[in-house]
Amino acid sequence: MLNVSPIRRPYETLPNLNDISIPAVAGLPSGETEDTKRIVERFGEDIIAAGEHNSQQVVYVHADNLLDLVNFVKNEANLSYEGLIDVTALDRSKLPIGGAERFHLVYQLRSYQRKQHLMIVCPAPGGDSPVVPSLTPIFQGANWPEREVLDLMGVTFTGHPDPRRILMPAHWPYHPLRKEIPEGGEPVPFSMTFDDPEFETLGKQILPSESIAPALPPGMNREHMILNMGPHHPSTHGVLRLVVELDGETVINIDPDLGYLHSGFEKTGENKRYKDYVYYSDRMDYLSAMNNNYGYVLTIEKLLGLPIPERAQVIRVIMSELQRIASHLFWLSTHVLDVSGTGMSLLMYATRERERILDLFEMVCGARLTLSYIRIGGVWKDLPPAFLTNLRDLLKMLPKQFDEYEAMLTSGPLWRKRLEGIGYLSREDAINMGMSGPMLRGSGVDWDLRRDMPYGGYENYDFKVPVSNAGDCYARYLNRMEEMRQSVRIIEQAVANLPDGLYRTDERKISLPPRAELDVSMEALIHHFKLVTEGFRVPPGMCYQGIEASKGELGYFVYSDGSGVPYRLHVHGPSFNNLFAISKMSKGEMLSDIVTNIGTIDIVLGEVDR
Amino acid sequence: MGLEEKLPEGILTTTVESLVNWGRQNSTWPLLFGLACCAMEMIATGTARHDIARFGSELFRASPRQADLIIVSGRVSNKMAPVIKRIYDQMLEPKWVIAMGICASAGGPFNNYAIIQGVDKIIPVDVYVPGCPPRPEALLYALEKLHQKQSKETFAKYKQPATPVFMKPEEIDSLDSLHVKQLA
Repeated sequence: MLNVSPIRRPYETLPNLNDISIPAVAGLPSGETEDTKRIVERFGEDIIAAGEHNSQQVVYVHADNLLDLVNFVKNEANLSYEGLIDVTALDRSKLPIGGAERFHLVYQLRSYQRKQHLMIVCPAPGGDSPVVPSLTPIFQGANWPEREVLDLMGVTFTGHPDPRRILMPAHWPYHPLRKEIPEGGEPVPFSMTFDDPEFETLGKQILPSESIAPALPPGMNREHMILNMGPHHPSTHGVLRLVVELDGETVINIDPDLGYLHSGFEKTGENKRYKDYVYYSDRMDYLSAMNNNYGYVLTIEKLLGLPIPERAQVIRVIMSELQRIASHLFWLSTHVLDVSGTGMSLLMYATRERERILDLFEMVCGARLTLSYIRIGGVWKDLPPAFLTNLRDLLKMLPKQFDEYEAMLTSGPLWRKRLEGIGYLSREDAINMGMSGPMLRGSGVDWDLRRDMPYGGYENYDFKVPVSNAGDCYARYLNRMEEMRQSVRIIEQAVANLPDGLYRTDERKISLPPRAELDVSMEALIHHFKLVTEGFRVPPGMCYQGIEASKGELGYFVYSDGSGVPYRLHVHGPSFNNLFAISKMSKGEMLSDIVTNIGTIDIVLGEVDR
Repeated sequence: MGLEEKLPEGILTTTVESLVNWGRQNSTWPLLFGLACCAMEMIATGTARHDIARFGSELFRASPRQADLIIVSGRVSNKMAPVIKRIYDQMLEPKWVIAMGICASAGGPFNNYAIIQGVDKIIPVDVYVPGCPPRPEALLYALEKLHQKQSKETFAKYKQPATPVFMKPEEIDSLDSLHVKQLA
């Protein structure tokens, strides 16, 4: 197996390791906030620990009290954590502690009214076969994330309505994210001649394609027509499979089958150095690589406590917003193509503008799609001289083009007929299902992470967050069009206020020294060598950081054990949660509306399946 | 030039093989099938700037029965592999495969439990395109390479060995048994 060279984990060097009882190396939260104070007042001894950790509110609770606690923080008027963002688990078996529960469940809760975030950690009793109560009675949106944890970690959720595997094939023999399971893969042949035994199997590996009798998803009735859409289907935007139960042309039930693009991003992340994972993050949501880079590096920088130069922050904002426009343009073109048969022209127009944005990306980093431009500590290189001129030209042109698209669509009778009233999602459902991004705002929730929990200097920009109460596809279409205009506004402000200075931090333990320095400075050479061969170490701790990516809230949860490799890396992809709403949105509608709904959710399967 | 001197104007001579190959080269219809990042570049190849129509491959068909070429554009997971194999089997001869990008060619950066290390483990590949993802120009170059390959094909390649199957009507108890006999 050829992976990264063996990783030495620096447990021995950590002081007072045995003093830390429950959360291994990361340390218990300390201090208290108003919210944790109220929780401790209410639950007293049942709370293991509560307080702040890496400036996040964290509560450790026993599994017996988990449901009570979540009910309390959701319904109590002064707490009102009404949204469940993410569920994940942490396998602590490789951490140097004994006695405590092997698995910890980690829940991210959000209060939209009070703009607060709460992390709940629940040690799961049961050792190697852990059991925790399911949160599905409280949050519908817990369904899929819990199935994911069940699939990848092997945690049993009591009371879960549909405990099946979600990403891996049903017959898969193990739970891949458990720590005793190796990363897998194959040895890479490095031979120079074909006489080597490594090549004996080359060209002889072609497998037979066996047909497996499809199992009927639970809750479906053979008396109706069962239609299989995908995984190879032109309008599922990738390799999504939907099993649809139809009465005539009316949809009764949908069972999405995911995992056809499951690439093991999280397992790979736990075997790669911090600096090397930036390149992987590109390939998750491949339509908004900049935003994926951005979310990842922000998380690591938060763990490192690393200050970022002003210029780098502004460049990041420009790139993130350009990427949002590019992603929305692609959404628009494919959505129109799916919904109205006359849309081929709009595909051509919108991709024409997208190509101009990709040209700008190519100018700064040389790639069109998988960019890896935003790096830990700043950005890869400074903006090239011609960039700003070209960007200004583009910014002048874009609003006119948006007007042109809207002239073709907004009041078009065909377009309105296909979108208005379709895919309705109420405000309560959107919050309860853990929607984010345009899906949330289309249902009347005034929430944007850039404004409400600002990161990377977004508090310095003046922009509006488009919100609509209609909750249908048409509202989401209008919102996204407005979002693109607002992104143009943000970029204009950023370009006007682009400061001079460093484009990457000069902390040499984190960022590579400039090439010219290597020739003259021995110290720079040593830093370069250490960074390239070993990377850098991140202090122990855990951290969740969400950003407003083009499709919604993209969150990274990282647990560091003090080594150069993340101990646990979990990605919360917005499309994954948003896609969960497809059943709710499409029930009772026509078959053709499923296609509209897939388009309006704006899924990218690389991010759904990860 | 022998025969051509005797022919009236507007008539050319060629072999059927090269005529057919010429036709196949200039209308290779790809399957409308995208997997991951490379699929975005495949779509970009189809749009106005790169314009795959210049090479006669603009007609992306959603049905494998109507497609000549499958562009495997992205990483192939364990769950997807049987599907790709099935789609490939459903395509009619002659058919070609382009492995677009390093993931489809050899697994790429994803050497882990989930990803098959190259689509050539399940279906035969004609042209490999390096890149992560390859630029649209690279895909067009791969198409050109495929055209060169198509130009050298012969009918003999597709000739099935003629083994007539004789079955008496009473021997046929179902359509499946006929099929089994034919395969045997």
